[in-house]
Amino acid sequence: MSKPELWVIAERRLDHIEPTTQQLITKAKGLAGDQFSVVAILLEATNDQLENELTAYGPDEIRVVRDDRFPTATDAEHADALQQLVTAYQPNSILFGATITGRSIAPRLQAKLQTGLTADCLDLRFDDDTLVATKPSYGDNIMCEIICPDHRPQMATVRPNTFVAAPATGDATVTTATVTFHPVDRLEVKAATPVVNTATTVGDASRVVALGRGAASSATIDSATKLAEKLGGRIGVSRPLTDQDRFTHDDQIGQSGNTIHPELILNFGISGAVQYLVGMQDSQTIVAINADENAPIFDVADYGYVGDAQAFMTALLAQFN
Amino acid sequence: MKIVVCLKQVPETNDVTIDPVTHNLDRRGLAGVMNPFDKNAIELALNLKDSRDDVQVVLLTMGPDDYADSLREGMAMGADEGVLLSDRAFAGADTLATGYVLAQAVKKIGDADLILFGRQAVDADTGQVGPIVAEFLHQPQITYAANLRLSGANEVTAERLLEDTKQTLVAQLPAVVSVRSELNTPRYPTPRNIQLSFNKPLTTWHHDDLDLDDSRLGQAGSPTIVTKVYAPEPVKRALTPLTGTPSEAASQLITALKQRQLI
Repeated sequence: MSKPELWVIAERRLDHIEPTTQQLITKAKGLAGDQFSVVAILLEATNDQLENELTAYGPDEIRVVRDDRFPTATDAEHADALQQLVTAYQPNSILFGATITGRSIAPRLQAKLQTGLTADCLDLRFDDDTLVATKPSYGDNIMCEIICPDHRPQMATVRPNTFVAAPATGDATVTTATVTFHPVDRLEVKAATPVVNTATTVGDASRVVALGRGAASSATIDSATKLAEKLGGRIGVSRPLTDQDRFTHDDQIGQSGNTIHPELILNFGISGAVQYLVGMQDSQTIVAINADENAPIFDVADYGYVGDAQAFMTALLAQFN
Repeated sequence: MKIVVCLKQVPETNDVTIDPVTHNLDRRGLAGVMNPFDKNAIELALNLKDSRDDVQVVLLTMGPDDYADSLREGMAMGADEGVLLSDRAFAGADTLATGYVLAQAVKKIGDADLILFGRQAVDADTGQVGPIVAEFLHQPQITYAANLRLSGANEVTAERLLEDTKQTLVAQLPAVVSVRSELNTPRYPTPRNIQLSFNKPLTTWHHDDLDLDDSRLGQAGSPTIVTKVYAPEPVKRALTPLTGTPSEAASQLITALKQRQLI
């Protein structure tokens, strides 16, 4: 008898695979052991070959469903197609990226299947065949372990950049499956256009200049923008700065924002609430500049300077020039 | 046109702690407030109400009796009425069981053209209930709407911001929409609206007021179980202090980053 399946739902982002998909394949392979077979589920247009962006990560199988309506399909149409696949293949568990798309389709599918879904997970493991999903609550101040003992499939959305994608050996078998596309005639995607200025999120940047309450002045933000440019990175913020017009929740690090692990993060004027620290503590090199020598940010930093954020930033910029 | 706005009451602060002995969440002394993101959904409903004469805004929530506070607050912002779903049988519900009861209540309210949600609750952060309700009602959904306008007698046009894509969606009503917080700035209740709100109807529906399948309610109707709750512990590192003037410290940092081949 073939092994039960652990699914990763591949997500399209414009003409490519959204990186969380690859991160989840790597994680799923680590979880699967001899118990599960890792299957990436890919819904794409007839002439797409997005499976080529998945093979290198070594899932056991890439199951492709082709229909020219998928690239502009609505959440309900995606969920309907996935439900048909679930009925046909009875997977043990289904993983989605906790992207906007994943967080929109997964609960719709959950409701169709009447099963459990754990949102925005930061860790996953199996106890026998029960998925134990770790989910943050209360703005990442609290972690909950959640299981779905009596219903299958088990479902989770996983926060982007929680896991690191790693190329793997092994030949992924590419298979095709068919579903009946049921168009929803009451909702239409009229247009989809790239948004240029958020093409890289703070989660994708390898260098991050992070600003908090102690580095919130307009002048400091301007300096930080220059510094981020010089480093080839971008700005991220802690929660207080999301109230400013220049930033949104998409720029936020930690607290139901982005979990990040860049090569380098410079924290200016951030004291370090728990959810913030957890959200960026896997960064390779952590630098902290804060006026308060007792700020918790210094506990997790490699390099620290106790002093004024603006003054340090000015000095740093001057020496870069 | 009838708009139902679903909302949740959440703790006033997210600074919750774990009781070191019982390992339970210590919620003592935490007052409840309306989930801030839900105010964006109410504001959208009130904007639509301001733009035409025939809009009725109904607020809907499920929870203990004190959730009425959030309904009153929403009515003080300008909503017309509130419905509280309160029953011991509803307690312990996860998103699936919550979505089921809300969907049954929307059916009972009847003739809802738009069902609005905030992007997510700030305590549990799932954002799942809107799509679940949409599925149970067999309605189209637009999640994370960045703006929305009536584009026809029975039609809305919305923009949805994905991570790097902007979608324009057109939905025939009725439809379920969850809104981004960037959509608008929620209004404050005016003294006059606060006064008016006390004369607006606030109805409580219990278990027997709704058409419900008991196996889908509360804890029994919830597939998920929380098995452990804990506070995350940041991992400490050995700190190398940068010292002296800002200029001296910046110079030390540049040297260190060069050694690490980061610049």
